[in-house]
Amino acid sequence: MSAVLTAGGATVPTATSARRRRRRSLPAVVAEHTGLAVLAVLFMAPVVFVVLTAFMPSSQALTGSLWPHPWTWENFATAFTRAPLARWFANSALYAVLATGFMLVSSIPGAYALARIRFRGATLVFAAIVVMMLLPPQITSVPTYIVWAKLGLTGTLWPVILPNLLGDAFSIFLLRQFFLTIPRDYSDAARLDGNGEWGVLLRVIAPMARPGIAAAGLFMFFNSWNDYYGPLLYASENPSWWPVAYGLATFRGMHGTDWSLTMAITLLVMVPVVVLFFFAQRVFVEGIALTGIKG
Amino acid sequence: MRSVRRHRLALPAASVLVAALGLAGCSTSSGGSGTAASAAPTHLSGTVSLWHFFTDREADVVQQAVDSFEKANPDVTVDVHSGQDDEKLQKAISAGDNVDVGISYSTDIVGNFCSTGAFLDLTPYLTRDKVDLSQFSDTVRSYTEFKGTRCTMPLLQDVYGLYYNKALLSAAGYSAPPKTLSELEAMADKLTTFNADGSIATLGFNPLQGWYENASSHYGPAAGATWLKDDGTSAIGTDPAWAELIEWQNAYVQKIGYDKLKAFSAASGQEFSADNDFQTGRVAMNLDGEYRTAFIADQAPTLDYGTAPFPTADDHTDLYGGGYVTGNIAGIAKGSKNPELAWALLKYLTTDTDALVALSNGLKNAPTTTAALQSPNLQVSAQFKTFLDIAASPHAATTPASPLGSGYQTAFQDFWTGTQSAPLTDLASGLAGVDKDIDNQLSLVAGP
Amino acid sequence: MTSPQPVLRLGALERGRRRAALAMLSPTLAGLVVFFVLPLLATILLSFTRYNLLSPPQWIGLRNYQYLFTQDPKVWTSAGNTLWFVVVLVPVRVLTAMGVAALLIRVRRGSGFWRTVFYLPALVPPVASVVAFVFLFTPGGGPVNTVLGALGLPQPLWFNDPQLAKPSLVLLGIWVMGDVMVIFLAALLDVPRELYEAAELDGAGPVAKTWYVTLPTIAPVIGFAAITGVIAALQYFTEAAVASTVASGKAGAGSSATDVLGYPDNALLTYAQWLYVRGFGSYQLGYASALAVLLFVVAAAAVTFTLRKVKAFSPEEAMS
Repeated sequence: MSAVLTAGGATVPTATSARRRRRRSLPAVVAEHTGLAVLAVLFMAPVVFVVLTAFMPSSQALTGSLWPHPWTWENFATAFTRAPLARWFANSALYAVLATGFMLVSSIPGAYALARIRFRGATLVFAAIVVMMLLPPQITSVPTYIVWAKLGLTGTLWPVILPNLLGDAFSIFLLRQFFLTIPRDYSDAARLDGNGEWGVLLRVIAPMARPGIAAAGLFMFFNSWNDYYGPLLYASENPSWWPVAYGLATFRGMHGTDWSLTMAITLLVMVPVVVLFFFAQRVFVEGIALTGIKG
Repeated sequence: MRSVRRHRLALPAASVLVAALGLAGCSTSSGGSGTAASAAPTHLSGTVSLWHFFTDREADVVQQAVDSFEKANPDVTVDVHSGQDDEKLQKAISAGDNVDVGISYSTDIVGNFCSTGAFLDLTPYLTRDKVDLSQFSDTVRSYTEFKGTRCTMPLLQDVYGLYYNKALLSAAGYSAPPKTLSELEAMADKLTTFNADGSIATLGFNPLQGWYENASSHYGPAAGATWLKDDGTSAIGTDPAWAELIEWQNAYVQKIGYDKLKAFSAASGQEFSADNDFQTGRVAMNLDGEYRTAFIADQAPTLDYGTAPFPTADDHTDLYGGGYVTGNIAGIAKGSKNPELAWALLKYLTTDTDALVALSNGLKNAPTTTAALQSPNLQVSAQFKTFLDIAASPHAATTPASPLGSGYQTAFQDFWTGTQSAPLTDLASGLAGVDKDIDNQLSLVAGP
Repeated sequence: MTSPQPVLRLGALERGRRRAALAMLSPTLAGLVVFFVLPLLATILLSFTRYNLLSPPQWIGLRNYQYLFTQDPKVWTSAGNTLWFVVVLVPVRVLTAMGVAALLIRVRRGSGFWRTVFYLPALVPPVASVVAFVFLFTPGGGPVNTVLGALGLPQPLWFNDPQLAKPSLVLLGIWVMGDVMVIFLAALLDVPRELYEAAELDGAGPVAKTWYVTLPTIAPVIGFAAITGVIAALQYFTEAAVASTVASGKAGAGSSATDVLGYPDNALLTYAQWLYVRGFGSYQLGYASALAVLLFVVAAAAVTFTLRKVKAFSPEEAMS
């Protein structure tokens, strides 16, 4: 307030324009910060309510009193006895780790070939990969399902894990985008040193592209961890293969349960992903920026 | 990035095209009708998988029966898969997962499973082992076969009736349950209380379709409503009984207020938990199955309640005493690798008197064989007895088998649920639309 | 395709590189054929059959398509719901993400904190976020309605109200807009400062600067976000399916899982779910294939449009 008043009382003409700008911007800055703070509160509120509910006695949820009294860990203890959480997490980990590993092995060389080797048909292959990435998976799910059923692999998560051995369209796309940002001179120099294409990829490009590879791996990991449709389609009849995402969705229906317990489990499902994010924050955000606009 | 999903639903090998053309259509499993050995094996050994839909406490009861079977056959291991609803069972059998014996909670899949051969024809085993089918009632026999093919055996049955909270009723001045829908409505009105803000605190009866066991199939017998004509096409639009039931229900919903009922129902405790609204006294009267007596004994043992046949429509009082009956049914899956062992388990679960009585006592489901019904070991409380009587009533009715499975019920249920948010406008044409939907679906699934 | 590379014009070397390329791409090529081309052809073939996995497929010509276009009671409901998400959810998410990003780049102090706050929800596994939202918006005692009640505001039925179920999912979509927001943040930070300074010299105010400098510069990003959003909306499944399952409070013993999809009153039944219900709930795999073919036609149109508009997806541009 005093700052605004002082500025208003100033009479030096040369300073006016600069001061006027500051005078305008201060309320604007306050407004912006207030707006952000209000928005931030709204964005954090769901998490806050989930946490509060997870820590309240199960009889308190839906009573209209929002603050736990008393605070209790009971729901988390119950969660592990009422739901096979350990198994769900193990299945999710198996799915995410194998899918990511398989994807990296199969997709890195493919992406490199598309980014750095000229050959006839490269354009067509790349276009096909983009189309495959963009088309809804439901289009091919009927024949896909039939074949997995005939192979006797339905009722497991293998139908969502194994295909990654034959490349993953989105990952190939992402990796290729990253490989393209590495100057050609490096690969050319490596070739002059007598490296074959595999040598160029393994000794030069792959080490330089580590952030891109990490981003692609993380996306794959998160997508597998969060996947609901795949496990629903292939493993819904076999609880011993349920991952957390599917298990959580069926939990309230399967067992007569209360919201506090459900929120405790929901929280347990959220936490690992968020923790992983904090360890890999930079890689992640860089990867997102790569997905489209910087090609 | 979440907005661009990847394709991970892919599949191996060029066998896709082959499968599409049907060349692989039935190569993996042994085909429709059972090929029983000339005599039952004297010694059983191996592993047999049992898929059923029960969970929690009920799954434990089934496990006990399985344990007795394993004890009698020490070289047999039963691999139990619990919590499998009909869809998952169908999925598992269709996809050729390792299923030997499957138990379903409803007769809806009988038409589909018998006609497609998903469950083996049991006739060869029944004839060889001289199983007496007259130990089952006619209704039970009829709902376990489809067009002359017996592919399932009855395993207990579910019977629906009215539960009422005696304490709440007597506080409102009632000593007996309602016998007609008008009485039900009048009593329910008196038992309904509201909060200060106008929302519902407790309900006498919740008429909302889709809530708990409020389903068209369970209401139908109250007016003797029929589902299908002899040729399998829909009879819903031409049977005035349905219109009568819908009109009563709609008027009642509008009287209380759809939004209020929705808000009340959204805050209901989960049906199969201790928070079930009837068990907590949130609703005073409720349509439910005989198994509820076991849930109450387990979760709300102090509840003072009675049971009665569900009220009938006002001009169908002659039907009083009946109700909706459906069977849990069990069969041997097409892909079973050891059908003899599967048959032994199936026969044990569905015809062994001790097994049936134990299951019935544990699950509080009505047994299906004469011997089990008359067994001195069968525990029959006053509340449970009501349901045995309903099952024996000539007015007990079930839903007919169809190649659509429960598809015809879903089509109708969808329509009914959709009508309740507002007063009815043109019910007749709506029901005619349901008929058309069902007939079109039938022709798509089973037409020429 | 720019600089020629005379050094590497040797024939043997060239052949070796082609061989290496083929080896490197062989899993990918096999994947394209086995997971994409063949299933697509198989889907088209299956769409002319009646097939339930148990009996061999039966050729029924165009019967599935006749049913789809003239008799299916829910196909247009579900297509309408999907279209609704395309038309409402996508623009709302893009605009919110852009707005929040625009606010965030103005903040100097604690920018990392603010960005994390708005990005964090996007990390929550979708199933967990839906379960949480259905609980938050539970009528009769849920936190949101409790707060609304305390403020003297009306307390809607949210996920239980056929009119509000889709808007409730839009609220969820806004909450998890962080994935789109990050792209806008990167783009806004990339707008050259000189452009703003030049505009200021020309006397442009904040509105004019936004209109003449910011929007044209980030237009490709808006296009990218919108198009990928549309493609995601065409396959909208998980959020709607989980919301229906959880809000209905059903499923489990006594009812089949797909019966609740679309709850309440088919308001959340999207096209992708309807395909799932017919295919893997009732095992009408031939008919589900016909639904898939229709989805393919629509999605292919969207993808063709995308390939023209989004530079990153075009192979010519990228071989630099």
